[in-house]
Amino acid sequence: MELILYIILLAFLFEMMDSSAGMGFGTGLTPLLFLIGYDPLQVVPILLISEAVTGITSGMFHHEFQNVRFSIKRPISKETKIMLMIAGIGCFAIFFSVILTYYSLKLPKDVIKTYVGILVLLMGIIGVFRLKSKVRDTYKPKLLAGFAALAGFNKGIGAGGYGPVVMMGQLFSGIYEKTATAIVSLAEGFVCIVGVAAFLLISSYGVTIDFALLPSIFTGGFLAAILSPYIVRVLPNKIWKLVIPIYAISMGILTISKVFLF
Amino acid sequence: MEEINSQTDVFQDEIGSIAKVLDSKMTAVERMKITKHNLKRISMAIIFYLITMLIFAALL
Repeated sequence: MELILYIILLAFLFEMMDSSAGMGFGTGLTPLLFLIGYDPLQVVPILLISEAVTGITSGMFHHEFQNVRFSIKRPISKETKIMLMIAGIGCFAIFFSVILTYYSLKLPKDVIKTYVGILVLLMGIIGVFRLKSKVRDTYKPKLLAGFAALAGFNKGIGAGGYGPVVMMGQLFSGIYEKTATAIVSLAEGFVCIVGVAAFLLISSYGVTIDFALLPSIFTGGFLAAILSPYIVRVLPNKIWKLVIPIYAISMGILTISKVFLF
Repeated sequence: MEEINSQTDVFQDEIGSIAKVLDSKMTAVERMKITKHNLKRISMAIIFYLITMLIFAALL
């Protein structure tokens, strides 16, 4: 087993942002590792395994540090119901995307990735403009379901950007920033479990997965999954109101750049 | 902690109520305080991490 320091640091930084801004672990870290020279089968399943554990860990610590109130006993909290809806749509979407891959249904990847990049970029820009609004949004469940379905559709056709669309969708639907982050962290954990299962299914058909990066990515990601919810709790919500849309804009630009880089 | 919990019970059905109450009733410095329960959970997470790394060391 080998621990690679710079991989630990990268995983730590991107998981810190993912657990505090609700996006970026897959969107940000994947192209960076490709640029360093790792190939998809060394990166994608490892990020899914790591995010499955760190997403659930982060969700638990968001609950522990009181950014959210999840419940497993009745009455189930509204936050838990929203998380289950987002996770459910995400699980279906990732399963569907694997079926598409399995049957080799080729979609124009560059076009759909550009579309998702522009979508995330626009959502980030709208998020920045919303900062000027003094009126606190009321919760709009139908709008949130629409955004969750849109994010699921994007993931289902293999375009990614699930975290940014769900995260910004929650904010547009009137959910408090700190709580939205907690919800999306836990939901992504469950979605990644299905992703891992899908990859294990693929590996049973002869695709070999390289686990060399797992200890390093897990180490950086896990430490961040504990620390990040604490930082979210301590810093005032107005900081997250600013950080989240700006980070979404950078993720949108990165998604569009990926089309031209890879 | 109990005070915060009792305050959030008033509007338990509102999404994000617990975080909103923490933000409105406590300063950033007060929110930095870590309870014994928090430390217990962090310790459990570290034990989980160490066990996982031992499994990795054995398998990889």
